[in-house]
Amino acid sequence: MPQEYYVLIIGYVFGFYMAWNIGANDVANSMASAVGAKAITIRQAVFVAGILNIVGAAFIGSHVTNTIRKGIVSTEVLTDPHLALIGALSALLAAALWVSFATWKSLPVSTTHSIVGAMIGFGIMAGGFSVINWTKLAAVVMSWVISPVFSIVIAFLMFKLIVLTILSKKDSFAGALKLSPFFIGMAIFIVILSFLFKTPLGKKLSIGTPVAIVVAMVLALIFGFAGKCLLKRLIKNKKSNGAEEIFRRIQIGTSCYVALAQGANDVANAIGPLAVIYFLVKTGGVGATVPVPVFLLMFGGIGIACGIGMAGHRVMETIGTKITTLTNTRGFSVDFAAATTVLVASKMGLPVSTTHAAVGGVLGVGLARGLEAVNFGIIYKIMLYWVLTVPTAAVTSMVIFKILQFLL
Amino acid sequence: MRVPFFKMFMTSPFEGLQEHAKKVMECAWAFQQAMECYFANKCKTFEEFRQEVTRIESQADAIKRRIRGHIPKRTMMPISNFLVFRYLREQDQVLDAMEDSLDWISYRGESRIPQELEKDFALLVDAVIDPIEQLIELVVEARLYFKKFSEKQRVIVKNIIHTLRRQEHEADNYEDIIKKKVFNIGADAVTIFHLVRLAETIGSIADHAQNAGDMMRAMLAK
Repeated sequence: MPQEYYVLIIGYVFGFYMAWNIGANDVANSMASAVGAKAITIRQAVFVAGILNIVGAAFIGSHVTNTIRKGIVSTEVLTDPHLALIGALSALLAAALWVSFATWKSLPVSTTHSIVGAMIGFGIMAGGFSVINWTKLAAVVMSWVISPVFSIVIAFLMFKLIVLTILSKKDSFAGALKLSPFFIGMAIFIVILSFLFKTPLGKKLSIGTPVAIVVAMVLALIFGFAGKCLLKRLIKNKKSNGAEEIFRRIQIGTSCYVALAQGANDVANAIGPLAVIYFLVKTGGVGATVPVPVFLLMFGGIGIACGIGMAGHRVMETIGTKITTLTNTRGFSVDFAAATTVLVASKMGLPVSTTHAAVGGVLGVGLARGLEAVNFGIIYKIMLYWVLTVPTAAVTSMVIFKILQFLL
Repeated sequence: MRVPFFKMFMTSPFEGLQEHAKKVMECAWAFQQAMECYFANKCKTFEEFRQEVTRIESQADAIKRRIRGHIPKRTMMPISNFLVFRYLREQDQVLDAMEDSLDWISYRGESRIPQELEKDFALLVDAVIDPIEQLIELVVEARLYFKKFSEKQRVIVKNIIHTLRRQEHEADNYEDIIKKKVFNIGADAVTIFHLVRLAETIGSIADHAQNAGDMMRAMLAK
């Protein structure tokens, strides 16, 4: 049916637009602190984040995706293929429009919550309020509070710990080197656990929690001490900023992990609905899960990379305007807090967003008096946007659904 | 400048304080030139230097307004914004005092400093320039402290503040000497008034520099 192929083409366009938006809105989350602290140049950051997002999306990203993200809407709504097609399209466009708007307002929002909200809108239109899983929706609401607060606490404690054990010491370089296995180890521990529990590839390995913890601990120990030896060789000149120099290396690692995980997890926000459309057009029906071909994941990854590329130029301008950003010890605290929050919260079954956790991390370091100036006022605005994300995406999705229903 | 996430970060007020301190230093050089010119015979460039001081002062004023206008209510900083404003005010008053001194001189046309007091005034001017030179270092080192939080760095800043206090005390001494001498040189009442007020205005430059140091000390409090 030619008409459905048109729909598929439109689906590709919307899917790419959504992926591009994910890249543009979230790029700063992974690389901002590293770039701000001049650990890497913006060009390197854009390049590395782009590549890692594509790699994360294509190879670690899930090859089977839930047709409805986070199971917040019952799959009953997908029984009518025609409605499902329209629904997937409208959800995709609604979420993308909202993220675009937030990016234009330069406020970080959760792309996951956007697509969840858009799906709710479509669910209500297609099946009424009864198809919504209210407990899951409550979990989303809870995550607005829990993830930033958790992240604030961890970032605060982490930064205070760094100040107490390293920065305030007479020879901060020696102190940092001595304790580097501990900090590298902690970062590795969280990264490995996140990889095993959070990424689709890790889940496929299906390692039990106790085993995973042991594996992560052993690897953390090995990498911690190996990292120390490596640092000793790499940094020879003990300049006054030696401690920051050590955290610079660690931070490059954590930033890269965030970019990789972002590609792996967020690609489904754009590709999930696209996969639904793809399957409806190809086979005429769809179940609770659909297999996602690698080329679609790759397509999403490239879309995210394009968004990162575009946003990169803006980051460059912003950095040029003398704003205070994070030094490496601060950046490490933020990254660590964000990664830990996402890991713990998702283990608790909360649909958290890296964005919320990263913003919380910055606040935590700010509260620990670690930043020369952060605009606390903007936080209220950011939080307002978090709360608005789900209802706005839902309403937009409803409107688009009605329009598409009329057209198709 | 539209990057989500980056919107939380803003220009540090320390950047401005440093810039402002630099202006104070520039102004001090022009002030010194003007005073030396005033002491010398037949100097024609006093007015030029006075204008230079006024010009730098208005530039510094713009920096001051920029800092004040760009710290939103809910800014999170290592210190309270109240202390930043107080510090800035004192640092700015150093400039104002320099400008006032030169203005005061200019009000009395061709007047000159009596020979007996020339040396004392020269010493007083030198004594007030010293603490000004400390100010920029104070800001730079304090900024470093808020980055590192090391005890060593804290001591460095505290030492600068001690130096400021000592220098202010020296300037005070020179001011006292002038005031004592003024009454014994047999000058007319108007001249005495002019000289006493001049000595006090010049002396206040060091007072404000010391006050700035005290404000910085309050910022360092744990």
